[in-house]
Amino acid sequence: MNRRAFLQTAGAFAALGAVPSIGRAQAKEVKLGYILPVTGPLAFEAHLSLNGLQLAVDEINNAGGIKALGGAKLALLPGDTQNKVELGNSEAARLIDQGISVLIGPFSSLVAYSVRQVAEKNKTPFMLLAAVADNLTEGGLRYVFRVQPNGKAMSTLTMNNMLEMGKAASTPIKRVAMMHEDGNFGTTMGNHVEAFGAKLGYAMVQRIPYSLKSPDFTAELSKVKASKPDLLVISGYYGDSKIIAETASKLRIGVHALVGLANAAYSNPKFIADNRELTEQLFDGNYWHNPQSPRAKAVFAAYEKRFNSTLTSHGVQAYTVIGVLKDALERAGSTDRDKLRDALSKTNLADHILPQDAIKFDDTGENVNATPALLQVQNGRPVVVGPARFAEAKPVFPVPKWHG
Amino acid sequence: MTADLLLQAVVSGLLLGGVYGLVASGLSLVFGVLRIINFAHGAVMMLAMYTTYWLFTLAGIDPYLSIVVTGPLFFLIGMVIQRVVIEPNRFAAEHNQLLLTLGLALFLENLALVLWQGDFRSVRPSYAGASFVVGEALVEVPRLIACGGAIVMALALFAFLRLTDVGKAIRALSEEPEGAMLMGIDVGRIRAVAFGIGAGCVAVAGALVTPFFYVAPDVGESFNIIAFVVVVLGGMGNFVGALLGGFIVGLAESLGATLLPGSLKQLVVFGLFVLVLLFRPAGLFGGGRDR
Repeated sequence: MNRRAFLQTAGAFAALGAVPSIGRAQAKEVKLGYILPVTGPLAFEAHLSLNGLQLAVDEINNAGGIKALGGAKLALLPGDTQNKVELGNSEAARLIDQGISVLIGPFSSLVAYSVRQVAEKNKTPFMLLAAVADNLTEGGLRYVFRVQPNGKAMSTLTMNNMLEMGKAASTPIKRVAMMHEDGNFGTTMGNHVEAFGAKLGYAMVQRIPYSLKSPDFTAELSKVKASKPDLLVISGYYGDSKIIAETASKLRIGVHALVGLANAAYSNPKFIADNRELTEQLFDGNYWHNPQSPRAKAVFAAYEKRFNSTLTSHGVQAYTVIGVLKDALERAGSTDRDKLRDALSKTNLADHILPQDAIKFDDTGENVNATPALLQVQNGRPVVVGPARFAEAKPVFPVPKWHG
Repeated sequence: MTADLLLQAVVSGLLLGGVYGLVASGLSLVFGVLRIINFAHGAVMMLAMYTTYWLFTLAGIDPYLSIVVTGPLFFLIGMVIQRVVIEPNRFAAEHNQLLLTLGLALFLENLALVLWQGDFRSVRPSYAGASFVVGEALVEVPRLIACGGAIVMALALFAFLRLTDVGKAIRALSEEPEGAMLMGIDVGRIRAVAFGIGAGCVAVAGALVTPFFYVAPDVGESFNIIAFVVVVLGGMGNFVGALLGGFIVGLAESLGATLLPGSLKQLVVFGLFVLVLLFRPAGLFGGGRDR
């Protein structure tokens, strides 16, 4: 063995060391690259996604890998964005250089907006995780795919679910008030809820953007109360949403329901556990799994056993993305990025754990059937109350307690 | 109906204004004596809120009762911070001292993030939900207690500054540093005491708001920025001005929220800030030196 050959062999082994599946060096494998903010302010949430990816990958590998590729195993190649745009770009480029078939990530819409160009330029399929901004699939990109509902689907379908529920309860919803944080997320949601009103026939009687840092919302909520809405919709983060619900309760806000929209608190198990009385019968339109699916129950049990915690909606999304990729790889019969991209675009996957029909992508890469679940806290637990065919409990509507 | 809204705005504004006033008083005092703008003020408040949280969660100590522990504890912590971090840089350029306190703030926030993660925590004693109605305005009991507590604390501090020797020394140092030194005042000690009092004030404010707020590593920021506005409004180093400024800012915020659309209430507060800087740079009630 001459020196050059030795170095090449040594280099190859060193590179494999970075991959978790070192023992299977000879077997063919499919490299999946992920970029997530695994360190930094979003580290906790990023690990919820990462656990979901890991669970799905191991499940597939233990069941014999990708059959169309002779049992090739899936290998996850890590990238850390620290939630920074530049790192997202450089880590994506690095993983693409290492020969990944697909890029998964990167949690925040801001990073995703930039990374999608890197993926597009390198003709690498890019599966979005967690990022919701509507514009991520705009611009005629061919390689971007998103399984979860975007901001528009999230807000319009949640409002639709509420209106249907109102009709069913003979308490039609005519007047809607909305409070949302005044950043990109809340404003996008507010715009959709306002625009959708004209179509569905409700009036937006009060729309109040607010600063996350504000320590008091009594004046804002008094205004909401005075406008006599049927519904108060809230798109916000944890602390602000909490203070708003508390103040609304004390003001006897007089609405039929308080509804979170992609709210960070209202279906969050920790928030509910910390505020049992306050949270009871709160609604939230959010990402969720299909509670009717026996497979979902098995996945939750497997997750619980492995990570000693409850699978979250972030984990469900990540788990589902790997399932979509497996399906596409089986049909593509190749690890080639372009073939995988074409297979992804023809996805029609009914075997999944989401509360929706088959997963299919439109020309822009959005999942056409993506839908949020409508949740309500009942007996200290968020349960799915809509859409009706996925519901595990009947909604309590109107909610008497908000009328004081 | 509009009258009801206005009444509510005035009530909520005043209730929160008291807390703003107490937070700003500490900041103003530190500025008056040490001539530094303490960016770590909010971070100290955050630490005090965590202390209140842990005392309540682990030992079941009522958040208001815990002030007896938190106040003196943070007075001491403040003195240590001043001795170890601030004093060695006493003669450094002003912008360096500013950066020093900013660095301290970032350090403390990240320390809290490492120790307790980014989770939002809350303290909910049995009376947390208590409220009553005056006219048509809602008064939340915890907010009323916080405001009352802040006023009592501020008055006590005012009396302390007027009546005790240490208080007089603090005022002397604030008004005429060189003269104070010539009169034999132990300047180093008084500077540490003043910083300790500043930390104690904001710690008490932190304990007072915990029952109706949440605790998280960046929670101090909400109050810190407002406190700067209040201090400028009341006059840098003017202690009573800070308390009054707190009420003004609280009122401006809630009236802004009632009368203007959207998140313009923030605009009202910072608009006020810019106007005062333009037309009354010494503050509405004059700076500390011309009292």
